[in-house]
Amino acid sequence: MAELTIPQTMTPKRHPGEIAIDRVWRFFCSVRAAVWEVSVLAVMVLIGTLRGSSVPNTIGELLPFTQPLVDRWYAYDIFKSLPFAGLLALLSIAIAVCTINRVPGIWSSITDPTVVTSRGFIASADVSATITPATGADDVTGLLRAHLKARRYRVVEQELNGDTHLYADKNRFGKLGTFPFHLALIMVLVGGIVGARYGFRDDEFIVAEGSTEQLLNGTSLSVRLEDFQDSYNPLGAPMEYRSDLVLYDGDEEVKRQSITVNNPMTYDSVVFYQTSFGPAVSLIVTDLSGTVVYDGTVPLGRYTAKENPDAPAGVLDLPNIGQRLIVVGPDANPAIDPEKDTLGLLSGELHLQLRDTTTAGTAPAQTGTVAVGDGATIGGYTVTFVRDRQWTMLQVASNPGIPIFWAAAFMMIGGLGIVFYFPHRRIRGIVSSASGPQEIQLAALAKRDWSAKRSFEQLIEDIDRELPVTTRITRRDGDARERPAALVSA
Amino acid sequence: MEALVKLSFYCFTAATISLALSALAYVGFAVARIRIRQTSLTTPQGQTFTATTAEYGVGYEGLGRFGSLLLWFTVVFAALAILLRGLAADRVPISNMYEFSMAFVFTASLFYAAVERKYEVKHLGAIVVPIALGMAIYVWTLPARLREVDDLIPALQYNTLMTAHVSSAILAYATFAVSFAAAVLFLINQKRRVSWLPSPEMLDDIAYRSVTIGFPMLSLVLVLGSIWAYRAWGTYWSWDPKETSALFTWLVYAVYLHTRSLRGWRGQRSAIILLLGFAATIFTYYGNYFFGGLHAYGGV
Repeated sequence: MAELTIPQTMTPKRHPGEIAIDRVWRFFCSVRAAVWEVSVLAVMVLIGTLRGSSVPNTIGELLPFTQPLVDRWYAYDIFKSLPFAGLLALLSIAIAVCTINRVPGIWSSITDPTVVTSRGFIASADVSATITPATGADDVTGLLRAHLKARRYRVVEQELNGDTHLYADKNRFGKLGTFPFHLALIMVLVGGIVGARYGFRDDEFIVAEGSTEQLLNGTSLSVRLEDFQDSYNPLGAPMEYRSDLVLYDGDEEVKRQSITVNNPMTYDSVVFYQTSFGPAVSLIVTDLSGTVVYDGTVPLGRYTAKENPDAPAGVLDLPNIGQRLIVVGPDANPAIDPEKDTLGLLSGELHLQLRDTTTAGTAPAQTGTVAVGDGATIGGYTVTFVRDRQWTMLQVASNPGIPIFWAAAFMMIGGLGIVFYFPHRRIRGIVSSASGPQEIQLAALAKRDWSAKRSFEQLIEDIDRELPVTTRITRRDGDARERPAALVSA
Repeated sequence: MEALVKLSFYCFTAATISLALSALAYVGFAVARIRIRQTSLTTPQGQTFTATTAEYGVGYEGLGRFGSLLLWFTVVFAALAILLRGLAADRVPISNMYEFSMAFVFTASLFYAAVERKYEVKHLGAIVVPIALGMAIYVWTLPARLREVDDLIPALQYNTLMTAHVSSAILAYATFAVSFAAAVLFLINQKRRVSWLPSPEMLDDIAYRSVTIGFPMLSLVLVLGSIWAYRAWGTYWSWDPKETSALFTWLVYAVYLHTRSLRGWRGQRSAIILLLGFAATIFTYYGNYFFGGLHAYGGV
C-alpha cells in the first residue's frame, strides 16, 4: 500500500466552537444516542406506570429495606417531573435536528440517485446474480426492464466505458414516511403544551334541571339543563345518562343538544361531557308580600347536614334578601345508622333551615319541614317545594391543542404505514460491453432484509424461466447455507 | 340468545381442545427430532463401553402437518365462537376479558398460521401456539358470570371506536407473540448451532415484519384510545396506568426498531429487546389486575 502524507495546509484549523457545535449536532443526529434516550424514557414511563399499581408495595413487602424507596416512589409523580419534561425536550430537539440533517441526502437519493456502480460492489453484495445470455444481451435487458417495470421499479441507466450501468428502485418516496411520523411526535407534545397553556377545564360544573349556570372561564357562555334522564336495565345496571342541554352565549341561544357519556356537546373549542348526576328539588321562595325572591332548582347531595349525615343536602344562597337556605332531603337508606337521623323525614319531605347571613351566624336558624306540593312559612318567607328534580354534573373543557393532536395522530399512523409497507428496494447492475463476453451482473441492496433478497431471487428465477440463459445466484450471508448457494440452469 | 351464547361456548371448548393438541404436535415437531441412540461395544477383553449419541433425524414432519391442521381447526372454531357471541350480543364481542382473550386466541392463531404459510417454517408454532393455549386456559379460569352477555356500561358504549381500539390491540398483541417466538428461536440459533431450526436471517425477518404490523397497530391503539378518552372523559391523555403501560410497550418496540440499524445492537440485543417488549405486552394485557384507574372494567 502506498504511503500517503497529507500536507498540513490541507487540514484547515477549526475553531474550537465549531468543533463543539459539530459534536452537539452529531450527538443529536446519532441513532445510538436516540436509542439510549428512548430507553431512558421507557424506564421513566415504567416507573410512573408501576406507581399506579401495587407492584412497589409488593417489592417493599418482600424486601423491607426498600420501604423508604417505595414510599418515595408512590410520592413522586415522574410524569410531572423536570427530568421527564427535560428528556422529552431533548428528544424533540434530536428529532428536529435529525430531520434537518437527513432530508437533503434522502431527497437527492430520490431525485438523483447514483447509477454507476462497480463489479467489486456487486461481488461483495449479500445477494448477487450473473446472467449469461445464450443469444444477445438485449433480449435479457429488455426482459429485465419489463419485469422491473411490472414490479413497479424505476429503472435508470447510464453508459460508462461501453458498459451499461443500471439502477432500479421502487417505493423511493417511502423513506420520506419517517419524517411525518417523527414530526408528529413533536406535535403531540406541542399540542399538550398548547392545551395546558391556553385551555381550561372545570371537572365539576353542576346544573340542576330547569336552571341556568354561567361558565366560570371568562366567556359569556351559560348552560341550561332542560331535563336529565337516567335509565337502567332490569338487573339495575346503568344503561344511559342523558342531559338535555341548551347553551347560551350571552342571552342568545346558540346550541341545543342531548348529551350522553360518549356523546359530548361541542361549541367552538369548548366541550361538555356528561360525568355525574344527583337529586335536586325545585323550590319557590316568596316573601310575606307575595313577591317571588327565588324560583329555581337546588342540587342536593353536594353537602351533608349534621342533622342527618347520610341524607342529601343542598345550599341555596339568596344574597338579594341576605338569607341562606339549607335544604335536607330524606335519607335514601333509613335502615343504615338510624341513630344519626335526627330529622326522621318521610319520602317527599324536605327539612329547611333559613339563616340570616347579614348577622354572621349569631342569630339561630329558623327551621321547618315541607312536603312536596306544599308550602311552609319560616322566618318570614314562604318556601314552596314544587317537585323533585335532578342535577347533572358536566365536565367542561376547552383544549385548543386538540386539532394539533389530531393532525399528529394522522401523520403518525400514515407515516408508519408508508415506512413499513412501502419499503425502499434497490437493485444495481452492470451490462458488460458488446465487444467482450456478454454478461449481466446484478445485486440487490438488501442488507439484513430477508424479504428483499427473496424477491430479488424470484426476479432472477423468473428471467431464468423465460429465456435461454444461464443464471447464477450467489448469496454471501449466512442464509446461503440453507438455500441452494448457486442456482444453475441451462 | 341463551342458546347462541351456549353454542359459542361449546365452539370455544372445541377450539381449546384442538389448540391443546396442536401445541403438543408443534412442540413435538420442534424438539422430538432428537434421537438418542445407545450403542454397546464389548472389547475382546470382555469390557463393555456404552456410547450415547444424539441424532437429529428427520421423521416427524407428520407432527408438524398435524399441528397446522389442528391450528386451522382452532381458527375456525374460535371464529365461530366469536361470531355466535357477536350475534347473541348484537355487537362485536370484545368488551370484557373473556371476550378479549377469546379474540386473542383467534387472532394469534390466524396470524401465526399466515406467517407459517408465507415463510414455510413450522418451528415458531412450538412457542406461539402454547402462548395462545395459555390464553385459552386463562379464559377457563375467569369467573363464569363473564360468559353471560351483559349490556355495556355507559363508558363503553361507543361501538365503532371500541371495536377499532380493542381489535387493534388484539392484532398488535398477536403479532408481538409471533415476533417474541422468532426472537427466542433467533437467540437459540444465532450461531447456527441448531441445524434444523430456520436461519437467523429468516427469524430476524419474521420478527421484524411482525413488529412492522404490531407497532403501527399499537400506535393506532394509543391514538384511538386517546380519541375515545377525549370523547368519554374529556381529555385525550390522563396518565392512567393502562395508558402508560401501553406507552411503555410502544417505547420498547420503538427502541427495537432503531436498534436494527445499529452495529453492536442488531441481532442479539434486538432480539432481547423483543423479549422485553413481549413481557411489557403481557404486563399491559393483565394490567387490570395491578392497576385501578380508568380501565378498571372488563370483569376482573
